[in-house]
Amino acid sequence: MAQFAQFALTRALMALITLLTVSLIVFTLMELVPGTCAERYLAFKNTQGSQITIADIAAEERRLGLDRPFIERWGKWVYNVFVHGEFGESCILRVDINQLLSDKFWISLGICMAALVFSYAIAVPIGIVSASSQNPVVNNSLRFVSYLGLALPNFLLALMIMLFSTVVFGDSLTGLFSKEFRDAAWSWAKFGDFLSRAWLPVFILGWSATAFALQTVRALMLDEIGKLYVTAASARGVSGARLLWRYPAKHSLGPVINSLGFDLNRIFNELPIVALILTLTESGALLFESLARSNDQQLAGAIIFLLTASIVVLNFTTDILLALIDPRVRRGMMG
Amino acid sequence: MSTEPAALAAGIDQKAKEAYFTASQGQLIWARFRGNRTAMIAAWALVLMILMGLFAPFLSPYDPTIAGRDENYENGAPQFPKFWDENGFSARPFIYATERERSIKTNFRWVVTENRDKRLYVRFFVTGWNYKLLGVVPASRHLFGVDGDGKIHLFGTDASGKDIFSRTLHAIWTSLAVGTLGVLISFVLALVIGGVAGYFGGWIDSVLQMVTDAIRTVPSIPLFMALAAFMPDHWSSETRFFFISIILGLIGWPTLARRIRTHLLTERTQEYVLAAELCGASSGHIIRRHLLPSFTSYIIVDLMISFPYMVRSETALSFIGLGLKDPVNSLGALMQNVSKADVLLNYQWYFIPVIFFVALVLAFVFVGDGLRDAADPYSDTKK
Repeated sequence: MAQFAQFALTRALMALITLLTVSLIVFTLMELVPGTCAERYLAFKNTQGSQITIADIAAEERRLGLDRPFIERWGKWVYNVFVHGEFGESCILRVDINQLLSDKFWISLGICMAALVFSYAIAVPIGIVSASSQNPVVNNSLRFVSYLGLALPNFLLALMIMLFSTVVFGDSLTGLFSKEFRDAAWSWAKFGDFLSRAWLPVFILGWSATAFALQTVRALMLDEIGKLYVTAASARGVSGARLLWRYPAKHSLGPVINSLGFDLNRIFNELPIVALILTLTESGALLFESLARSNDQQLAGAIIFLLTASIVVLNFTTDILLALIDPRVRRGMMG
Repeated sequence: MSTEPAALAAGIDQKAKEAYFTASQGQLIWARFRGNRTAMIAAWALVLMILMGLFAPFLSPYDPTIAGRDENYENGAPQFPKFWDENGFSARPFIYATERERSIKTNFRWVVTENRDKRLYVRFFVTGWNYKLLGVVPASRHLFGVDGDGKIHLFGTDASGKDIFSRTLHAIWTSLAVGTLGVLISFVLALVIGGVAGYFGGWIDSVLQMVTDAIRTVPSIPLFMALAAFMPDHWSSETRFFFISIILGLIGWPTLARRIRTHLLTERTQEYVLAAELCGASSGHIIRRHLLPSFTSYIIVDLMISFPYMVRSETALSFIGLGLKDPVNSLGALMQNVSKADVLLNYQWYFIPVIFFVALVLAFVFVGDGLRDAADPYSDTKK
């Protein structure tokens, strides 16, 4: 047990270091954006008719603490994020980022996690069956479908589904809520409405993730299925689904759990673009908005950091989970 | 009697075995690759598309920029050359001339009509707009065109009357070029960073690993978007092109760097490295002359596999408007227009470049897969 606690602690520390490095990368990126928050705010004031001077900008920079050295500002940002969970104020919208993001981020995360679950719910059984099947037609068509997952990007799939549903149903299936629920508080009715619309982004985001997962599961199963312990088990009279599940599948799914973080990463990649096409009102669309339209570095940084943080958390969780169910991993990590 | 063919066969077998054992790594990989039918088909498709991109100006009848627009045929449907119609048969394929008019009859809107009595015959090797073949040889011959002032649009035209066929051909080249540049940049970075981490090991390795892992954790498209958002609007299309390639390269290196590092970590304890060290070879010399050649084939395969990701990222970036923009023809820039409702319902031929994109990525993936199987000496025994 002590060994396990030590392992968990080391992993947590490593996750924390990764998060810190990520925060440095994100913060540097935010700094690189041309113009500062102060200039942006005053530029806005300028459009409202008031004259601004260089001195005004300098004063505003002092007020926002932008005249401090880079490391100090980064330290302050990290401190606020890690200790208080505060991301500060958006440069353009002038509202608290936490307030702006809270619902939207959880919706995004929920959709992405659902897409992840969806992709493995399909990929695990099909991958296992296809690996154990010798039928070349099945295998080749599966291979083709997985490649199509890469070649037919999610945004194209989204477009095609939209085209189809506009022509057939007369509704483009876009957005996350119906009109009557858009500004309502969360309730069961609103949740139901959300679910009736969220399946499309979940399906589209899960599409290429499924293709990748299918390939991973199949390759891992193929590696395991030829091993001697499987032959021995079948010699003992275990067969069919029982054989597959209890022997090779058990072993091949370990690495799959390990790679969940990277799958989530891939899904996050697609999120802003899919959100843009389906006009979802969640953080992916907000990220695009803040980067492409308004150059809102505070908001964009917060979103990228949150997305990455959820990947780090998932990586940490799967590592711990894997160590719990597989003592070899634990020992391997301890060295 | 019966022993002779057997002995002959044995001799051939012996020869084949000898050839097999003395073959270089490249020859072995090529032999295995050739046996993979899917990969070979994909390779031919890829070569075809690369050639199409390379000779795009010659193959495309019109200038893909606004200079080559056909103002009489905006948002025009694809025109298919015909051999016969109600007026009779013709050995030379033809299309109909189009006319545009605006009058009280058409409610003062431009209406394009097809004049079925006026045939425009397809001609080969016609003189058209000036271009530089392969970027150097000035030329003005094009593979095909129609006679007279008329124009032929195999894939239709877009909202400003630009020929989509010409644009697609040029776009393939641009997308390939961006991908190649991106892969090259990420390759050099991966080689240097992975090489240093793997060769020196110790704390240098730990620090570099930490940075690599952190970059790998950040979702790349949001990172691309963040970097691409720095691009000022006034940059020329060439600058944008290079900037996008650099971004793709800057973010694409961690996976390859990690693989190079792992390989180096296992290789550097081998005897041949020790021997070279004892001979007084410098670190740089050992990395370049001994370690890198030991896994060139894997690097090539890896580059091939990362190529479709580069092309895909470029397309995604351009698609959302952060990458290359309209005067440049990249596959992503061409797809930008596809998402408009008007296009979805009325001008479906805008989707034709999408087919080329899917084909290009599929070809790369199949070739990369075939190469990976061919480079893996155990691939035969595994299956």
